[in-house]
Amino acid sequence: MTRAPAAMSEFVFATAQYGSGDWDSAPLLPANIIDSVARYTSIAVAPTGATAPLATPLALHFPLLYLTGHLPVRFSDNERRNLSEFLRRGGLLFVDDHNHDVDGVFHKSATEELTRVAGPLHDLPNDHPLYRCFFKFDGPPTTSQELNGWGDNLVHKHLQAVMAGDRISVLYSSKDYSSEWDYHPESKRFQSVDNTRFGVNIVVYALTA
Amino acid sequence: MSRGPRTEITTALQRSRGWLAFGVVVRAVIWAAATGALFVALVALTDLFIPIPIGARRALLAVDAFIAAGVFGFLMWRDRGAAELPRVALWIEERVPALRFALVTELESGGAARFVAPGAAQPWPGMARRGALRVVAFPVAALIAAAVGLMVLPAGSVARAASPRSGDSVIRTALARVGVSVNRLDPLALEITPPAYARRESSRVDDPAAVRALPGSRITFVGRGAASGVRARVTAGDRSTLVQARQAGDQWRIELTASATPTAVALSDGLHARVVDLEPERDAPPAVSLRAPVRDSVLALPRGTIALSAQATDDIALAEAHFEVIVSAGEGETFTFRTLTLGARTINAPSATIVAALSLDAAKLHPGDVLHIRAIATDGNVFSGPGVGTSDTRVLRIARPGEADSVAITPAAPPDTNQSALSERMLIQLTVALKARRAGLDRRTLLTESHSVATDQARLRRTVGDLVFARLGGEPSGEERTPDQTDARGDTLRDLLARADRATNQSIQTLDFDGGETPVVAVNAPLLEAYNAMWDAGGALEQGDLEGALPHMRAALAAIERSRAAERVYLRGRAPDVVVDVARARLAGTEHGSSSVRTPRLPVDSARDALASRLSSILARAVVSPATLADSLLLLRVEALSDQPEFASALGDAADALRKGQGERATTALVRARRALAGPIIVRRSIAGWSGAGQ
Repeated sequence: MTRAPAAMSEFVFATAQYGSGDWDSAPLLPANIIDSVARYTSIAVAPTGATAPLATPLALHFPLLYLTGHLPVRFSDNERRNLSEFLRRGGLLFVDDHNHDVDGVFHKSATEELTRVAGPLHDLPNDHPLYRCFFKFDGPPTTSQELNGWGDNLVHKHLQAVMAGDRISVLYSSKDYSSEWDYHPESKRFQSVDNTRFGVNIVVYALTA
Repeated sequence: MSRGPRTEITTALQRSRGWLAFGVVVRAVIWAAATGALFVALVALTDLFIPIPIGARRALLAVDAFIAAGVFGFLMWRDRGAAELPRVALWIEERVPALRFALVTELESGGAARFVAPGAAQPWPGMARRGALRVVAFPVAALIAAAVGLMVLPAGSVARAASPRSGDSVIRTALARVGVSVNRLDPLALEITPPAYARRESSRVDDPAAVRALPGSRITFVGRGAASGVRARVTAGDRSTLVQARQAGDQWRIELTASATPTAVALSDGLHARVVDLEPERDAPPAVSLRAPVRDSVLALPRGTIALSAQATDDIALAEAHFEVIVSAGEGETFTFRTLTLGARTINAPSATIVAALSLDAAKLHPGDVLHIRAIATDGNVFSGPGVGTSDTRVLRIARPGEADSVAITPAAPPDTNQSALSERMLIQLTVALKARRAGLDRRTLLTESHSVATDQARLRRTVGDLVFARLGGEPSGEERTPDQTDARGDTLRDLLARADRATNQSIQTLDFDGGETPVVAVNAPLLEAYNAMWDAGGALEQGDLEGALPHMRAALAAIERSRAAERVYLRGRAPDVVVDVARARLAGTEHGSSSVRTPRLPVDSARDALASRLSSILARAVVSPATLADSLLLLRVEALSDQPEFASALGDAADALRKGQGERATTALVRARRALAGPIIVRRSIAGWSGAGQ
């Protein structure tokens, strides 16, 4: 059940819901990121994620929106207006291409819509504070989908972003973190290195930048 | 047949009338032309000393035409007698007394008598011709004088008076200022030539302060005098370029191309300078509306043709439009895509309707494929575009086999709920019949028959209970089987509720059955209510209390009927709602950590303060150098155009008023500018509430 948080006393991980496409293609990712935020930080975090329909002003209640899918992204006028308002108010939109394919329709349609709403995407330098705000990275961590030749068979060296001044307004990933992080948090114990740590950086950056 | 004398006289009179009428018309025309020319010369002469605004010149030109027409009409009316033969005869008699009214008499007698000998007519037939030529001599002289006057006057002034048009200030010759002013920036005209794709006429503006132009427009500043030393500094954003004027006849010209950002053009001529703002006129992208298909849909089979229709409009002109159809196939993590383009057409109009037919057979679709259909239109903006407009997207999905609800075509037995309703109705009828016969029955027989109905009622109650169990996926064994287990009712209900709660898998909290907030309970609540009522009815029937049993039996029947009429809710599967145990993840037990302190962000709108500061600074400097105030305001206007249009508009009005010497209007505009920056007025209490001092 989607509900607006009564008060922003705790961070709620919100997945953006849009009319076209499969917006809920990574259902376990929110729980995994919430688990990591709880595990590594002292941020007050809600134990479950929320769904934020872009067609309603509910999306404006969250500091960070996660948007993913495989199918074309075509925003309605309401979705476009609310997303624009969300970004204008200082929210951070994290978009991940679940296809991991820069020639795929998600990438093409999503970048087209984002350009229309927020402006053109540019490569984010790998020394950006996003990579140092909690865990230290030399750039966006690779995913097994990249290394195994899925999608466009490319290892993307940079994330892309739309900047609002010196702050990231829209963070766009072609690395398919949606597949990489879409597993039950209980399964983390089987990994030698938690691959969701970069998700913590995104949350911390959204709350502090 | 020979012509008689009367015929010759009448013909001569008619010829004379023709000459006289010719003279009257020619004289009226020449007088009208001379009057018009003289008026134009007068206006041109006045314009030499006092520049007449274009509106006044256009009005004077209309007055000039009116006067000329009036002169023509007056003369034609006054000399209208030239068209009448008796008046012509009298006119000749007046000048040839020797005729002794013979011509008039001839006309009046209708040729009955011969009063004029042919020889007597000899002196007057040429008189009308000479008279006609004589009367045009004076107006011709006046016309020549007016023409000479126009030729003597400066051609620019005459052109301004004869054909006023925007931008003609630069061709005006100001006699009163010759040798006094060397400012080549005054007068100043500006020509705007829109880009070819806009297909608009060129326009000219006199003495511009701020102009709007489409990006890509050719902007030409035109002034009088030599080009040397006249230059323009063009500032757009952080870029600034210097453009020199070039000579074109006796005028200088500076040509620019309008950019997509607000631009300040600072013209300079030695010590003289002036600023003109170029405001970009936005070329909006096309607006596209998809009319067909009307809504998203699921198609059972990928066959047939789907009609596509869309309406596209643009503020200037469309260039191209088409339908884009993305076909996505696959599921899970594996998707493939292909894009189809349909109905592409070149358009050269502000609006257009595009249609196409999407053949599902030709598209080679398969079950599960998804079609994303939208219309796309581009405008002809080749400078800063093209602007691209897209419609909403319609999604058509091809159904997969087996996903649709199955349709039972084999006649089947009535559903359990209906059977239960029938049974309960029959039990009610049995009870009512037994009640009617009760007077003739002894107590034992009554109890025996009542027990029989109670047994059927208990069987039906178990059926209803099993029905609820079956819906919840449970075993029918949850219901008690022996009527003697009277305490099993409460356990069974609790069990039912627990099963309903588990089936929803929604919460771990205690189920609020009365609220019926879960779909499963909401659907089964009437049956559970019937179950309760049947239990009560069964109890009463066991004791032979027919009056006590019937209300419960009827309540049970009503509840079953409600269940039959209820909307069916088909629950969809969904991903498990994982709840993270935050405390466990933090290895903190029940301790809750405190969140990090967040640094409040800076106020977003610091640009507004910067504009206010700039405005204050400009107004402060105006005391020292008031001449530059208008230019400074225009420069500030350029920077504010994008973010503070109301503020920029007020600054433009203020600069315009300052240049026209309208101090009061300028002050009003500046006050408006300050209010535009300050935002809405916030009223606060000026005095704090009473604190109890003095007690």
